[in-house]
Amino acid sequence: MTVSAIEFSRLGPPKLRLYAMRCTDCNTLHPWWEHYVCEKCKGTTLVREQMSGTGELTNYTVVYYPPRDFLGQEPYVVGHVRLDEGVSMPAPVVGVSEDQVEVGMRVKSVFRRMKLGHEGDVYYSQKFVVDPNPPKPKKKAAAKK
Amino acid sequence: MRVGVLGIGKTPHKIQHNKSLRDLIVEAGQKAIDDAGIERRDIQALYVGNVGSVGFCFENSTGLMAVDHLGLVPSAAVRVEAACGTGAWALHLGCAAILSGLYDTVMVLGAEKMNDLATVEATSLIAQAADSKEEYFSGLTFPSGTALTARKYMQTYGCTEEDLANVSVKNHYYGARNPYAHLRFECTVDEVMRSPKVADPLKLFEVCPMTDAGSALILCREEMLRDRPDKPQVFVTATSMASGTWYAASDGLDESFDLLARPAQKAYAMAGISADDIDVAEIYNSFAIQEPLGIEALGFAERGDGWKGAADGSTWLDGKVAVNLSGGLLCKGHPLGATGTSQACDIVEQLRGTAPAEIQRKDAAIGISACRGGPGSVGAVHIYQRLED
Repeated sequence: MTVSAIEFSRLGPPKLRLYAMRCTDCNTLHPWWEHYVCEKCKGTTLVREQMSGTGELTNYTVVYYPPRDFLGQEPYVVGHVRLDEGVSMPAPVVGVSEDQVEVGMRVKSVFRRMKLGHEGDVYYSQKFVVDPNPPKPKKKAAAKK
Repeated sequence: MRVGVLGIGKTPHKIQHNKSLRDLIVEAGQKAIDDAGIERRDIQALYVGNVGSVGFCFENSTGLMAVDHLGLVPSAAVRVEAACGTGAWALHLGCAAILSGLYDTVMVLGAEKMNDLATVEATSLIAQAADSKEEYFSGLTFPSGTALTARKYMQTYGCTEEDLANVSVKNHYYGARNPYAHLRFECTVDEVMRSPKVADPLKLFEVCPMTDAGSALILCREEMLRDRPDKPQVFVTATSMASGTWYAASDGLDESFDLLARPAQKAYAMAGISADDIDVAEIYNSFAIQEPLGIEALGFAERGDGWKGAADGSTWLDGKVAVNLSGGLLCKGHPLGATGTSQACDIVEQLRGTAPAEIQRKDAAIGISACRGGPGSVGAVHIYQRLED
């Protein structure tokens, strides 16, 4: 994908943080930082909200044949993460080998290099690593009470 | 509704380094004209399904190119694009144009020339049918997105990778017998399991090849086909489209089911038939897992049971409903814009009784095609019937 410097200036900054869009009418969260109409209630006022970045890996795959922009990173892990705020989004997972990765793993977002652009320009965004300090299970039990 | 299928034409599906996009368009279109037995001037409008010529071939206005090179000027022509649902959308627009009474005869043509690019470039290009600013940016592509669906399906319904491998075995059995197919070899469950991993758990034999091909149909008003008793009386009796999310992020089997189930229910109502009446089906399976998903959405099996047909024989040639006798996209390949039109041509051949002998369903009278496009974006269902009166 070729992206001009102008487009990068628009695309880049929001990727420095992990955002989702919250519908001010029904409170539903939508992944990422651009969303105009709520899928649930069709409300049109959505506001950007920064996510804590912690969540659970709900699904994953290991990619052996990457597209051009990700050449050299293969095999890499990408999956879906359900953030603790309750929204799901695609999640590149790093720092974990293909036989260690498993559904249900606690992960947290980190700021990493994502890919190389056509002219050697580096694209950064959020990836996920295994959460070094996952919430303790007893906290969950307390919440149930 | 009834729209007459006056003619069909298709090129072989394979890597065709000696043919350009326009060669494929002209070959498919000319065959359809010959088959219909009409004059060029009778074709009042041309709908060209093409997804990526601007990236694959550095050519853009494919509709305009096609109308000129097919010698159809001054008829109306337009290019249609809806990701992998492109060919089906062109067919839908062609049917709508006839049904509206605006045109008497139209040509619907799908074509894609994919092999001028290396796989790595083509994968990048195809990935842009999804959100290239977000989903693709995360390293998710169509194979890996569908791999996530496959894993979720196996976990939810308790089937194994070996169970799903039967889908590829069935498609390859028929693909080997279809002279128009791209991959013409049989394989076993073991061979599927041992084929290289593309995106775990998807393996090479569960992924469609990149294919150069074109296919075309000439549609007309019902009475015009009735006036041609020399022609097989095959009609499109339902055309139904729907949309779904542009994002695979929701990861939902329910969304994936609804994407085809909604237009399927509408199509059955439109044709006044039910799933039990169908003899032959062409179901989108660029990745093997999509065949069981489609089988369930079309009502041929309960949710979670769609994979069983390939193992127990009920979706084979003599089964309850024969699914993908062409070899499906797994063997025919997936020439993006031509896939929907190719499914239509293959069903029409089945209903005419002119499919290759080894893959011809005996006395096929009612067929269905289901196509999907984008991460979860386009659902398309068409029903075809041979109606002698």
